[in-house]
Amino acid sequence: MRDAVQDEIIEQFGGLEWLDRYSLLISFGRELEPMDEKFRTEENSIGGCQSKAWVRAYEVDGRLMFNADSEAMITRGIISLLLKVVNNRSPREILDLDLYFLDEIGLKSNLSPARADGLASIIRRIRELAEGEVN
Amino acid sequence: MTDYSKDYSKDFPILEKEIYGKRLVYLDNAATSQKPDSVIRTLSEFYRSDNSNIHRGVHYLSEISSERYEKARAKVSDFIGADDPGEVTFTAGTTDSINQVACSLKPILEGNEVLISGVEHHSNIVPWQLAGAKLRAIPMDEDCNLLPDSIEITDRTKMIAISHASNVLGSVNPVKEITEIAKEHDVPVLVDAAQSIQHLPIDVRDIGCDFLAFSGHKMYAATGVGVLYTSERFSDIMPSRGGGGMIDRVTLERTTYLKPPLRFEAGTPHIAGAISIGAAIDYMQNIGMDHIRKREHEVYSYAREKLLGTDGVTVYGNTDLMCGSISFNLDEIHHYDTGLILDKLGIAVRTGHHCAQPLMRTLGTEGTVRASFALYNTKEDADRLLEGMEKVRMMYA
Ligand SMILES: Cc1ncc(COP(=O)(O)O)c(C=O)c1O
Repeated sequence: MRDAVQDEIIEQFGGLEWLDRYSLLISFGRELEPMDEKFRTEENSIGGCQSKAWVRAYEVDGRLMFNADSEAMITRGIISLLLKVVNNRSPREILDLDLYFLDEIGLKSNLSPARADGLASIIRRIRELAEGEVN
Repeated sequence: MTDYSKDYSKDFPILEKEIYGKRLVYLDNAATSQKPDSVIRTLSEFYRSDNSNIHRGVHYLSEISSERYEKARAKVSDFIGADDPGEVTFTAGTTDSINQVACSLKPILEGNEVLISGVEHHSNIVPWQLAGAKLRAIPMDEDCNLLPDSIEITDRTKMIAISHASNVLGSVNPVKEITEIAKEHDVPVLVDAAQSIQHLPIDVRDIGCDFLAFSGHKMYAATGVGVLYTSERFSDIMPSRGGGGMIDRVTLERTTYLKPPLRFEAGTPHIAGAISIGAAIDYMQNIGMDHIRKREHEVYSYAREKLLGTDGVTVYGNTDLMCGSISFNLDEIHHYDTGLILDKLGIAVRTGHHCAQPLMRTLGTEGTVRASFALYNTKEDADRLLEGMEKVRMMYA
C-alpha cells in the first residue's frame, strides 16, 4: 500500500547523489525538535546504538505522537523522517505500516541490526509503544 | 638514507578493492589488520595439502602438521625473545590469553588487587573482575600517560596488567619501568601487546614481563588465534581448562598434566591459525621490525601533525612514543556522523568507545573517531583522511 507521506519523502530524495542525500538528512536532523532533557531517561533510551537515542510516545485523541532524538545528526535526520511517517496515526495503523521509504531512499543498509546507528532498534521501540496502545 | 616509500599495499589483495567507487583507505587496523598474500596462501595450502590433527596421529600428515605447528611456535618464541618455545602457548586471541591467566590465578587474585592503567581495553579489565579481583588504576597525567613513579604496590597487589600500546590513543606505556618496580615487590606483570606486536620490536626478556598476550588477526594472521607467553617462572600454574592433549595421566580420581606449552592447550587448537602467525612473522621479518617501526612512525607522525594542525579538531593523547592508533573528534560533530561520511568516501575508520569506556570517561567523551595505521598505510592515506574530514566539516557546516 502506497502512503502519501512516504511517497513525498521518496520524491525529495529521488535522483540525489549520496552526498546530497546525506546533506538532506543532515538538514532534516537540524529541523528535528530536540527532546526535552527531562524525557532523556534510561526508560526512553534505546540500547545498541553507537550514538545515544531516545524515543517516547504520547496519545492525542486516539492517535500516537512520537518524540525522539539522538546525539548523532544523521540519526536525527532519519528519526525526523520516521516521525513524519508514523506520527498522528492510530496504533493499529502504525503496526500495519510498511516502511518502504527507507529502502527506496537508500537507507536499507541502515536497517540491519549490525549497523551502529540503531535504526532497527528505534523502529522496534516505536512498534512496541504502538503495541502497548492497541486494545 | 633508508627508503620508506615502498608500497607494501601490493602484498595485500583486499587493498585493491574499491569501496563506493573509491580506492579503499583502510584505517581500522587496530580492530583487525588485512592479510598479505603469503598468509592467505599459507592458510589455504595448509588445508589443501597438510591438514591433519597434531600430536596424535601415527600417520604422515599428522606428523607434517605437528611439525609445522611446532615450527610456528618456535618462530613466535624467537620473534618475542622468549627463552624457550615452551613458554609460548597458542590461544584464541588476546582476550582468551588474559582470561586464561586470570582464571589460572583466580585462587590468588580473589579478594585481592590487580593494578591496571586507565587506558585499558575491556579485555584487560573484565577477566580480572571475573576472577574476583579489585582493580586499581595507576595514576596518569593529563595526556593519559602513566606515572610509574606513583605506582603504589601493597600486600594485596597480586598482578600488574598493562597494555603495551593503547588501542585508542596509540601511546606506548612504560612497561619496562613498570616491570622493574614490580620485581622489587615480586608482583607478576602481564603485558597486553595486542596493539604493539605488529608495530614495534618486542623482547620479553628486555621488558621483563611474566605474561605477554597478543592476537594473530591484528598482526596480519588469521582470526581466532593468538598467543600467551608465560615465563618459565610460572610454568607450574594450574591450567585454566582441561581436555585432550594437555594431560600426562588421567584416572577418575586424579589427573596429572603435561608441562607447558601443551599443558595450556586443551583440545584441538587452531592449527592453521597458528601456522598463519608463523607466516605473518616471516612476512614482517622479511621487511624487518625496525624498518616497519620507522616507516610507520613517518606516516603516523605525518597524520598526527596534520590533525593537530587542523582547526576544530581535538586529538587525544600525547607522548614521545606512539604507534598505531590516533583518536580525535571534530568539534561539534558526533563521531558517528564523521565515521559515516568517511565510510562513504571509501575511508574505513572506527568510531565509538573502542572497548575502553573508563578511558572515554577520563577523556570526557562518549566516543572518538579512530584512525589506526598498519605497515601498508601511506601519507597519501593520511591525506585522504584529512580531505575526508574537510568534506565532513563542509557537510555539517
Ligand atoms: C589493547 C587491546 N587488548 C585486547 C584486545 C582484544 O583482542 P581480541 O579481540 O583479538 O581478543 C584488543 C582488541 O581490540 C586491544 O586493542
